[in-house]
Amino acid sequence: MMKPYLPAALIVAAALAAAPTARPAAAWISEPLQSSTQQQPPPTQSQQPTDFRLSLVGAGTQPKVGLPDFTVEGGDKDLADATMTLVNVLWDDLDFEKEYYLIPRKSTASIPVVADAKSLPFDRWKEIGAEYVIVGTSKRIGDNLDIEFRLVGVRDDIQGKEVFSWHYGGSGCALKNARFCAHFISDDFHKKTRGVDGVARTKLAFSSDRDGARMTGRQISGPGPGKEVYIADYDGANQMPVTANRNLNLAPAWSPDARDLAYTSWVSGYMDVYVRSLFDAKPPTRPAGSDNNVENGLAAWSPDGSKLAFASTKSGDWDIWVVNRDGTGLHNITNYPKAIDNAPTWSPTGAQIAFTSDRTGSSSNQIYIVGADGVGLRQITFGCQGCDRPTWSSLNVIAYTAGAGPGHDIYAVDLNNNNRTIQITDGQGSNESPTFAPNGRHLAFVTTRWGKEQVATIAITGKKDTLKRVTEVGNNRYPNWSHTPGGQ
Amino acid sequence: MLRPQTILIPLVALVLVAGCATKKPPVSAPTTQVPPPAPFPGANQSGGTTTPADRPPAPPPVPDTGAVTSDPLADKSPEDINSNSPLKPVFFAFDSDELDDVARQALNDNAQVLKKYSTWVIAIEGHCDERGTAEYNLALGDRRALAAKNFLLSLGLSAARIKTVSYGKEFPFDPGHTEASWAKNRRAQFMVTAKQ
Repeated sequence: MMKPYLPAALIVAAALAAAPTARPAAAWISEPLQSSTQQQPPPTQSQQPTDFRLSLVGAGTQPKVGLPDFTVEGGDKDLADATMTLVNVLWDDLDFEKEYYLIPRKSTASIPVVADAKSLPFDRWKEIGAEYVIVGTSKRIGDNLDIEFRLVGVRDDIQGKEVFSWHYGGSGCALKNARFCAHFISDDFHKKTRGVDGVARTKLAFSSDRDGARMTGRQISGPGPGKEVYIADYDGANQMPVTANRNLNLAPAWSPDARDLAYTSWVSGYMDVYVRSLFDAKPPTRPAGSDNNVENGLAAWSPDGSKLAFASTKSGDWDIWVVNRDGTGLHNITNYPKAIDNAPTWSPTGAQIAFTSDRTGSSSNQIYIVGADGVGLRQITFGCQGCDRPTWSSLNVIAYTAGAGPGHDIYAVDLNNNNRTIQITDGQGSNESPTFAPNGRHLAFVTTRWGKEQVATIAITGKKDTLKRVTEVGNNRYPNWSHTPGGQ
Repeated sequence: MLRPQTILIPLVALVLVAGCATKKPPVSAPTTQVPPPAPFPGANQSGGTTTPADRPPAPPPVPDTGAVTSDPLADKSPEDINSNSPLKPVFFAFDSDELDDVARQALNDNAQVLKKYSTWVIAIEGHCDERGTAEYNLALGDRRALAAKNFLLSLGLSAARIKTVSYGKEFPFDPGHTEASWAKNRRAQFMVTAKQ
């Protein structure tokens, strides 16, 4: 017998709704500083690089920036702690995009901190190669941080000039959530000075067996534990489960507004697509049309959030189907008999869908693109071994898994550039299931390089120093990167 | 409706009965631990062909429980049946859903059991080894379960008694990383889910 769907997960949603990302924007402060004497900001990089690998510039051309401690006004320990958190998170956020070269804070710890840009020890900063220094002051207003943030020139030709001066505060900078304040400052700073959409406020969803609870509701022959859907900040902070049904819950997908998750669950005893809101306690919907003779899974949202594409056995074999989020308008867009069509991903405009198919023969999973209306099929990879999980970025690049196994790696094909293909991961462990950050500059994926299956992020350049571990506990699979800052 | 203060309860205690308005005592774990089924000592370890000698031995005789019935299996719950099942798993070659002679023999035997116990409703689970990608294996596992189901239907069993479900590579029987383990994991497995 099936047990009723346990509503435990819904309470997590309520907790999420109370999280800072969901707070109203009222009383949020982000404004130029009154005293600001804005100069020319650092040059914005080219918006449309011809080679997507060059969209991340090398260290040689990144402005070198120092980020010392902020000056804390008053002897408030909570304020001091929150400010320290903010500065450390801000360093990580700014380092993540590689628009700037962030000088390691350890190597600048001995340089005196000043509140006034004019009295910076410029010689000390020049000595370690800084071109700019961030000068910050932090004070407490109610329960919130109030931050003055200045980017000050150090290089001879710009010494002492404030090239960016901004004021952040209000409820978005609550003392107890200094991480979010740092994320906001980082995204705002990247946008205003480099024209780049940072991803510091985005989130990751994935499946994890960390709870170790045995499957319930139905006997399973394997001894493994159930897997729950988890979410986390892009940097791995604030990990929390959003399902708690002790069953198998895989392949979460963020809706474009980051308010809903679609995922594949076996909670009814067979594979089906579930959609649930993170911000209310309504039970999940099942737009793919639950049917215990059919398996539906691996859903992907259209960019406008109105539709889901998913893999289904409705026709008797695996095809890609599209349905409106309310369950209407269900139709088969691949309709190819006796083949596995699987793992759909939408193009940035929503006009096309990429997917995998083994229609050219067993053990020959290739990537195809078809119009969202089912017309205009074309094959993208040829002779690819073990090709799987395409993910289509905002920069029109498709990343995917490939490899004859047991080890796989992440590759990417640049649709702007004659389908030129590059390898992203370097053969350490097995690497699977890529998902693009909304700005197309980073991937999250699953790797076994540290033993168990863990979610990691890496820049599209594949540079080793951009690899960051996101999960630590249990086995974690099927990452999916939110499109927009969570709850904004 | 769920009250906001419920938010503060630790997650492990959040197992509530659907639709209930008041908090229930937390349920910390399933009250009955179901032991995993017996291992497959003879699962194909070479990956290619399978000989009858490699197959798992016949299930041990069911001990006499002292019940009045002459067939103790008939009175057992699905959980007890599955813990020492007379339904044999079927094994597959790498990236294949084809049934070889050994697999067909196992399915013939399973069909005889299912004809004898005509009240059993079963789910055929399709499983894969870890080598393929997670997404592809969800589909391959379904193909394996369907291959077994279709063979049983060809032997005259009712489709209404047989559901299929794929678990991809999510539930390996043997967590090892060698062909010996993988061979045990590429399987269709038969679970009694209910009695009609």
